[in-house]
Amino acid sequence: MSGDATDGEVVSETDPAVDIAEQAATEEPELDRGIVEAWAARMISNPQLAYRATFYVATIFFLVTTLFPFYWLLVLALTPRNSLSEVGVFLPAGFNPGAFIEIFTTLPFHRYVFNSFLIATIATVAVLFVGSLAGYVFGRLDFRGRNPLLLLVLVTSFFPPAAFFIPLNRLFNMNVDVLRPLISAGSLYNTPYAIFIPLSAIFLPLSIFILMTFYSQIPDGLEDAARVEGTTRIGALFRVIVPLSAPGVATAGVLTFISVYNEYFFSSLMTDGQPESWAPMLEGILRFQGEFEVLYNLMAAASIVAVLPVAILVVVAQEKIVSGLTTGAVKE
Amino acid sequence: MASVKLEGVTKRYEDVTAVNNMNLQIEDGEFVTFVGPSGCGKSTTMETIAGLTLPTEGTIEISGRDVTNLPPKDRGIAMVFQNIALFPHMDVYDNISFGLRLRKYEQKEVDRRVEEAADIVQLTGMMDRMPSEMSGGQRQRVAIARAIVRNPDAFLMDEPLANLDAELRVHMRTQLQRLHRELDTTIIYVTHDQAQAMTMSDRIAVINSGVLQQVAPPLECYNEPANRFVAGFIGSPSMNFIEGEAVADGFESVYTKIEFDPAMQGVSTGQEITVGVRPEDVHLERNVDQVGEPTRAFAAVVDVIEPVGKEVNAYLLFDRDVEASAEGRGEGQLLINLEPDTAITEGDDVQVVLDRENIHLFDRASGDAIGHSL
Repeated sequence: MSGDATDGEVVSETDPAVDIAEQAATEEPELDRGIVEAWAARMISNPQLAYRATFYVATIFFLVTTLFPFYWLLVLALTPRNSLSEVGVFLPAGFNPGAFIEIFTTLPFHRYVFNSFLIATIATVAVLFVGSLAGYVFGRLDFRGRNPLLLLVLVTSFFPPAAFFIPLNRLFNMNVDVLRPLISAGSLYNTPYAIFIPLSAIFLPLSIFILMTFYSQIPDGLEDAARVEGTTRIGALFRVIVPLSAPGVATAGVLTFISVYNEYFFSSLMTDGQPESWAPMLEGILRFQGEFEVLYNLMAAASIVAVLPVAILVVVAQEKIVSGLTTGAVKE
Repeated sequence: MASVKLEGVTKRYEDVTAVNNMNLQIEDGEFVTFVGPSGCGKSTTMETIAGLTLPTEGTIEISGRDVTNLPPKDRGIAMVFQNIALFPHMDVYDNISFGLRLRKYEQKEVDRRVEEAADIVQLTGMMDRMPSEMSGGQRQRVAIARAIVRNPDAFLMDEPLANLDAELRVHMRTQLQRLHRELDTTIIYVTHDQAQAMTMSDRIAVINSGVLQQVAPPLECYNEPANRFVAGFIGSPSMNFIEGEAVADGFESVYTKIEFDPAMQGVSTGQEITVGVRPEDVHLERNVDQVGEPTRAFAAVVDVIEPVGKEVNAYLLFDRDVEASAEGRGEGQLLINLEPDTAITEGDDVQVVLDRENIHLFDRASGDAIGHSL
């Protein structure tokens, strides 16, 4: 910053075509000011500079705090296992991209990721479907007891999930004869259902709330038109109301997907941790932690791989969300 | 094509009765307009016919088939909405073909019908436009095309022209009439604008506070209103009413006296009655030779003159002391319709006569019409 000031002086001295106003401006630094004082004076005479400086400081701060952990994971992942104690803050101690292959060879990590992906997808679809029906009812129909009922639904999401764990675990470990043809053990433990059922239920209220607010804003006339044209109420919901609420549906879907995909508590306790038992990606990462040794570099590599699908999804969906919001705004 | 029959249709919400015991028979191919002030229940009546709202009581028949509890899609009707209600996420083709595609018509048939409908409303070549890229009139035509493409038994139109500007509204009005002539389908039309009702319909159903007041051809509603409400609602500017009492030799109010034989009209002496007379049936006494059977002249003062071009509306006061009411025409005021070149200025004292042939009598308590000429 102070360098700029001196540059300006140099220019004005060497350039003969400089005008009087600029000369007057350059005369000022002749006052005996320190670097900080001169900088402050420039900021006062040109506040735009100050705003820009604060903007960059804030942006860099947030970028560093959010992205540095990922960078640090990358540093760890690239560091060979026997150099882990020498790892620096900014550079890996060595270069070992093989860790990203090793995670798939020591463990079927892809299976863990697939399990998680599948569970999160099923949960998202289920939540969006049930949430759409509930959102329609709460958002568009007027009936007695609507608000108490909505409150009741929302209250379930305020419970700590741990409170549900013991009863659910008991329930899912129970042998239900009816399920025997479908599930070999006859109980839900070690099946994807054990994870996606409770997680769908826990994340459902939020989605209902989001979808409700979006659905309630679709004009009644459009639903009436669809019904006269030949749909049922449910047909009108999925052919007209849902497509017109795309940003809301995308928001609810992405939130649910990420929440289920990243969930720790139920994911780690509802299976025995084997990939064949539909253990999710989280269990896979923890598997690199053995009895005598913690393979930090593999854990780091696995974490990065596990984040990728969600990161891609969010980038794609976010574009949809933003485009949906802006086209809606233009049309009105 | 279909007849529509409402029998004792009543719609009650928690605290209001929107439609009260509506009985109505609409013939095949007829253009019937529901008209009435805002909130009178005309839209609710239409919604019960469409099936969007279930009536609390009563039955609805379309083509002799009881559809009271059928969902809208199974009633064979199409509807055009006040807010047009095109699906914003579909282009014109998808909007028009929505109902056909739902009914699983073959692609060829869909294309043929969409083209035909687009042709009727002059929309060809706009098939891939989005509703947001069209003007209000074009959107309205798409909505009409969407309705006619399915060849419905009956059209329901809920104030379809209300959101258009005045010029376009008149244009679309004639288009709709032409459409009715071409398609020869039953049309039920809802509006609060009595000018639309008068110009387009075969019959008008005047509704007030959920109760059917009169169902008759437009001119009959105009010339022989069934009650005071219809008399005041149909016609613009609206009818003058003079409150008074039947006496031995006619009618007497504070400012006027009209002579007739009460027995001939079926009124008993002392009965409180209201005289209704349209502004065009009030004449200046100097033009009395234009009136077939004038009443006795009475004095009035010109209060306000409103030239509208082809005619002049003048507000008269029976007495200089009468306070002109801020809300509509009050007691002691009279609106008169004059030729544009009539020499008259505000503040003039004039003598006016009424045309006896077009004097309406109403019972004041019930509002029912007693007679339409003296």
